[in-house]
Amino acid sequence: MAWIVQNRLQPYTPTRSEPYITEKIRKEIEEKYFPRYPTKRAALLPLFHLIMHEYGFIAAQAIDEAATLLGISASEVQDAATFYEEFRFEPSGKYVVNVCRSIACELCGHEKVLAKIKEIFGIENFETTEDGLITLFEVECLGLCEFAPAALINGERQCNLTPDGFVETLKKLPKEVAPHDNGH
Amino acid sequence: MAFNGPILLKRIPDEASQRKLIRYDDYVASGGYKAYNQALAMKPEDIINVVKDSGLRGRGGAGFPCGVKWTFLPKDIFPRYLAVNYDESEPCTFKDRYLCEYDPHVLLEGIAIAGIANRISASYIFIRGEYHTQAKILEEALKEAYEKGIFGKAYPGTDIVHHCYVHRGAGAYICGEETGLLEALEGKRGWPRIKPPFPAVAGAFAKPTIINNVETLACLPYIVENGAAAFKAMGTPTSSGPKLMGVSGHVNKPGVYEEELGIPMGKLIEKYAGGVKGKYKAAFHGGISMGVLGTNQYDAPLDFDIGKAFGVLGLGTACVTVMNESTDMVKVARNCVRFYAHESCGQCTPCREGSAWAYKMLNRICDGRGKAKDLDLLLEIGLAQGIMPGTTICGLADGTNWVIKTILQKFPEEFKAKIKAESVQGVDVTVGGVKV
Ligand SMILES: Cc1cc2nc3c(=O)[nH]c(=O)nc-3n(C[C@H](O)[C@H](O)[C@H](O)COP(=O)(O)O)c2cc1C
Ligand code: SF4
Ligand code: FES
Repeated sequence: MAWIVQNRLQPYTPTRSEPYITEKIRKEIEEKYFPRYPTKRAALLPLFHLIMHEYGFIAAQAIDEAATLLGISASEVQDAATFYEEFRFEPSGKYVVNVCRSIACELCGHEKVLAKIKEIFGIENFETTEDGLITLFEVECLGLCEFAPAALINGERQCNLTPDGFVETLKKLPKEVAPHDNGH
Repeated sequence: MAFNGPILLKRIPDEASQRKLIRYDDYVASGGYKAYNQALAMKPEDIINVVKDSGLRGRGGAGFPCGVKWTFLPKDIFPRYLAVNYDESEPCTFKDRYLCEYDPHVLLEGIAIAGIANRISASYIFIRGEYHTQAKILEEALKEAYEKGIFGKAYPGTDIVHHCYVHRGAGAYICGEETGLLEALEGKRGWPRIKPPFPAVAGAFAKPTIINNVETLACLPYIVENGAAAFKAMGTPTSSGPKLMGVSGHVNKPGVYEEELGIPMGKLIEKYAGGVKGKYKAAFHGGISMGVLGTNQYDAPLDFDIGKAFGVLGLGTACVTVMNESTDMVKVARNCVRFYAHESCGQCTPCREGSAWAYKMLNRICDGRGKAKDLDLLLEIGLAQGIMPGTTICGLADGTNWVIKTILQKFPEEFKAKIKAESVQGVDVTVGGVKV
C-alpha cells in the first residue's frame, strides 16, 4: 500500500566500497537533469529510475549516496522513494511480471491467468521463482484495457492473455540474457 | 452537432496494422505545427480568448474550462510552469496513451501553444512510470521538436525561453491528482496538497503553474487553426468539441475512438466498438471513479451534464467499460474498492481507513458471510468520504464514495442475494433506509 512507509531497510546499512551511483549516473543527473529543475531534489525520481535500470533494486547505500547527490537528508530520500511502487528495495527476478488486476482485466478473465501462473510456477504475489527468473506482481490498471487481460514483462506489453498462452510465454523467456531492459 | 470524422486521431488509421509512429516530417506534411506558427504571431490574450470562446473543458476528469483556468495565473509573476498530466492511471482509461503512442507531436504542438499563451518557462510532461515505451517515444519526438526550434527558443518579443521535459512517475495513481503530481515533480511523496493556495498561484516549486491533461492540450492546435466556432460546432452547448473515448470490457471491438461529446453511450458502443458481447447490464462511462451507469441507462449521452441526469459523479475520462449480464456487481464493487484502498495516499483517515474497511466488508459479502446490516453500513462508509462531504484533501475518496454508492443503489438485489440467509430472516434489508 502506497501509504505504508515500508520498513525494508536493515538497522545498519550494509556497505560496499564501490558506489551504487556510478560516475555515469552521477554525470547524467548533474548534466541532464539538474538544469531542468529549480531544485536538485526534483531529480529524485529520475535518479531512482536510473538506479533501478542499472541494478533492478535500490540498495540502502544508494539512498545515502542519493542524499549526498541531491543535497537532502537520507530520511527525506527514503520517505519519498518508498512511496512509489515501481521502486523496490530488494532484488527481484530477472523478469518482473506485472499482471493487471483492475476491473477491465477482471471482466476479461485475469483471475484465471493469475491462478495458472501461481500454479505452474509455485509463486504468489511479490514472490520470485526458485531459479530467480520470474517475480510476480499483481498491479492496478496498466492503461492497456483494450487488450485486457494485460500484463507487462520488464515493461514490455503483453496483450489479450490466456492462461495457457501466457504460461507458455513465460516458460520461453531466455534464461541467460533478458532480451529487453527492465522498464526503467 | 456536426462531427465529420476524427480531429485528434486524424493521423492514426482505424486499421491497427497500418498504424505507425508519426514523426515530425509526417506531422508537418499533414498540416502539423501550422497552428503553432499562427499562435506565434498572435497576442497571448488573443490565444487565451479563443480557447475560452471555444468552450474547451478539461479532458482529465474534472471538466474545468481550460481558458478560464489560464486566466487564474497572477499577472507579472514569473517563471510560470506547465505540468502536463499524462499520468493516466484511472482504471479503464487509456486514451492519452493511445494518442501519444502514435502522434506525440499533437501533444507537443498543444504544449507549445499553451506555452505561448501563458509565457511558460518550463513544461513538464508527467507520464506514469508504466508508460515507459511511451516516454521513449515522447523523448524522441521532443528531440525532433527541439531541433526544429519549437522548444528551447524565446517567445517573440520576450526573453522567456520555453523548455519542455519528460518527467516519469513511478507507479502511484495519486500522482494524477494535480497537486500530488506537483509533489512528485518536486521529488517528494505524491501527497496531494491542501488548497488554497491553488497551483495557478503557487504550484510547482511555489511558482504559478497550470496543470492540463494531455487531451486538453491536444485540442489546442485545432482550436487555434480553425477558430472557436468550428470547435463549438461539435458537441453540445455545455460540452463542446470532440472527445477521445476508450471502450473496453465486454464489447466486440475494444479500442480508442473519437466522437463529439454528447453521443449516447449505446451509439458509441454499437457504431465503433462492435456492440456488446452478450446482454448489456452496466458500464463505467468515465473511469471507475465516476460510478456506474445502470441497466436502463445504456443510452446516456456522454457529455459534462451526465452527472445529475444519470446519478453519477460526472463525465470523468469518457472511457467506457461495458459489463454484460454475466457480471457479478458485488465483485465489481470489491475490485474497485480494493483499488482505492491500495492507492489511497494515506493522509486522510476517512479515505485510508474507510476504503480498507469497505474492502473488508465487500470481501465478507462476496464470501457469503455478510450480514443484513452490512449494506447500510457500507453505504454509510462510502458516503462519509470525499471532498464533497468535506472529509478529505483530494478527490480520490470521492471515487470510493461514488463507486460504492452507485453500485449499491443501482444493484441492491445482488448484494442482498449474497448476504447470509439466516441474517436476512425477519429483518428488512435496507440500503440508505430504502428497503431492498
Ligand atoms: C485521484 C485523482 C486522480 C487523477 N488522475 C488524473 C490523471 O491520471 N490524468 C489527468 O489528466 N487528470 C487526473 N486527475 C484530474 C487532475 O487533478 C486535474 O483535474 C486535471 O489534470 C486538470 O487538467 P484538465 O483541466 O486539462 O482536465 C485526477 C484527479 C484525482 C482526484
Ligand atoms: S483523499 Fe485519500 S488519496 Fe486523497 S489526500 Fe486524502 S488520503 Fe490521500
Ligand atoms: S484494467 Fe487492466 S489494463 Fe486497465
